[in-house]
Amino acid sequence: MSALIRMRLAGFLRTGRAVAPLLAGLITLGILYGGGRAQPAEAYGVSAVVLFPVLAWQTKILLDVEPDVQRRLAQVTVGVARERLAGLLAAAVAALVTVAVALLFPWLVGGVSGPVDPGDRSIPVGLALGLWAHLLVVPAAVALGALASRASVGGAGYGVAVLALGGVGAVVLGLTGSVAPWLAPPIMAAARTTGGEAAALTLLGLSGWALAWSGAVVGGYLWRRRAQG
Amino acid sequence: MRLENVWLRYHRRGPWVLQGIDVRIGPGEVAIVLGRNGVGKSTLLQVAAGVLRPGRGRVSGRPARVGWVPERFPADQPFTVARYLTGMARVAGLGRAAADEAVTSWIDRLGLSAFRSVRLPELSKGTAQKVGLAQAMLRPPGLLVLDEPWEGLDATTRELVPELIAEVLAADGSVLVSDHRGETVRLPAARRWLVADGSLAEETSSTDETIAVVEVAVPAARVAGTVARLRAEGHQVLRVRSDAATAVPQGGPAEPLPAAGAAPPAEPPISVTGQPEAADAAVEPAAGEAR
Repeated sequence: MSALIRMRLAGFLRTGRAVAPLLAGLITLGILYGGGRAQPAEAYGVSAVVLFPVLAWQTKILLDVEPDVQRRLAQVTVGVARERLAGLLAAAVAALVTVAVALLFPWLVGGVSGPVDPGDRSIPVGLALGLWAHLLVVPAAVALGALASRASVGGAGYGVAVLALGGVGAVVLGLTGSVAPWLAPPIMAAARTTGGEAAALTLLGLSGWALAWSGAVVGGYLWRRRAQG
Repeated sequence: MRLENVWLRYHRRGPWVLQGIDVRIGPGEVAIVLGRNGVGKSTLLQVAAGVLRPGRGRVSGRPARVGWVPERFPADQPFTVARYLTGMARVAGLGRAAADEAVTSWIDRLGLSAFRSVRLPELSKGTAQKVGLAQAMLRPPGLLVLDEPWEGLDATTRELVPELIAEVLAADGSVLVSDHRGETVRLPAARRWLVADGSLAEETSSTDETIAVVEVAVPAARVAGTVARLRAEGHQVLRVRSDAATAVPQGGPAEPLPAAGAAPPAEPPISVTGQPEAADAAVEPAAGEAR
C-alpha cells in the first residue's frame, strides 16, 4: 500500500496541483501573522482554524488528480479497502507537510513572541499546544476533503459545495453559544482552548470529538464511494 | 470464479444494466463477451474484475491477482511509461528488483522501448493501450479481463494479444475478453457469452464451423456494392473503414477484392468473416486465422 501512497503523492506533486493549496495556505498565514506578534499557543490555535479549509481543499485536489480509471486499476490491484485507505493516507501525509510549514512559518516571519507576563505559557508548551491544534485539524480536513472528492460526490459543483459548507459550517457552528456545535469538528473550540485554559481533560475530550467527527465523515465518504461504484 | 445472480445498475432509480447474471468460468478457460454497444459488456467485465460491486448477487472465487485492461487507458497522468509501469508493479506487490525486471521485460515485449521515457499524455492511443496491457501483465494474473484489447493496436501487437491470453490460460488462469471488431476469431477455443437486455446467454456452436477473417481493400466508390454483395453471399461484414494508406492508385488494378493468395494490404478497409467452404475467391481464410 505504501507504493500506492507514493504514486498518488507523486501524481499530486508532478501535476503541479500541489502549488495552489500551498500558496493559499501561505497567503492566509501571511495575512494572519502580518498583523503583529502573538504567543505561540494563541497564534497556532487561529492558524489551525484557517488551515482547516485549505487542508480540506488540498485533500480534494490530491484525490481528484488521479483519473477515475486509474483509481479503478489501483482498486483491482490492491483491493477496495487498501485503495480507499491509501488515498486517505496520501492526503494525510500531504496535510502533515503543510502543517509543518504552518508551524515553521511564524518563526520565519517573526509572527510569534516568547512569554511576556509571568503567567504566560513557555514556548515549548505553546508549541505543543499548537501542534496539538494542528494535528486535531488534519483528520477532520482530510475527511471533509475526501467527502468532497470527485470519487465521492461525482460532479465538481457538488464537491465545491461540500467544501464550502464544511468550511463555513466548522466556523459558524463552532462559535461560542452554537446550537449544534457537535455537527462541526472542534477546531474553533481548540483555538479557544489554546488561547485560554487548556486542561488535560479538555484536550482529551476535544481530541475524541475531532476523531469521532472525522470517523463519521470518513464513513460518509466510504458510503458514497460504495454507492458510486 | 462465479457470478451468482448478479444485478447491477448505476443509479438507485436507474435501469438495471445487468439482470440476474449467473455464469461460471474455470481455470484455463477463456470467454468472449459479445453484444451490441451499450448492452453492458464493459459493466459485466468490471463486475468480474472487481471494479464494480453488484447491487444484488455476488461474485465468488475471484482469483487473488486480477489484471484488468480498461477500454481506454487513463493516459492523463504525469508519469513516463517506465515510471508508471514501475509504480504499478510496486503497487502490485513486486519488490524493486522484480519490478524493474518485469517492466523491462514487458516494455521490450510490447515494443515500448522507444517510449520508455515518454510521458503518458504524449502517447498515441495504441501505444497507451500497450501500456494498459503491460500493467495488467506485470504480475501473472489469475484472472485477466480485457475490455476491447485490440482497439488501436498495431498489427504486430494485435497478434500478441492471443499469445498473452494463452500464457494466462497455460498457468491455469481465466480470461474474459470483449470485442466488437471480430478479432476474437483468433481465440478458437473461447466460450462465447452474448449479453443482451441485461442478460447473458452462452452461445454454443451448432456445428464445427471454421471461421476466418479476411481483410480486403476496395476503391471507396465501390464499398457499398461490395459490402452488399458479400452480405448477399452470406458473409458477415465486420467493419468498413477508410484508409488513405491503402487507397488504390489512379490507373491501378480495378479488382475490388484481391484474388486468393494475393498479398494482403497493410491496412485494408473491410473485414469479413465467412465459412471458407462458402467463400469465393474474394473471401479466403487468412493464414493463421482459420480454425
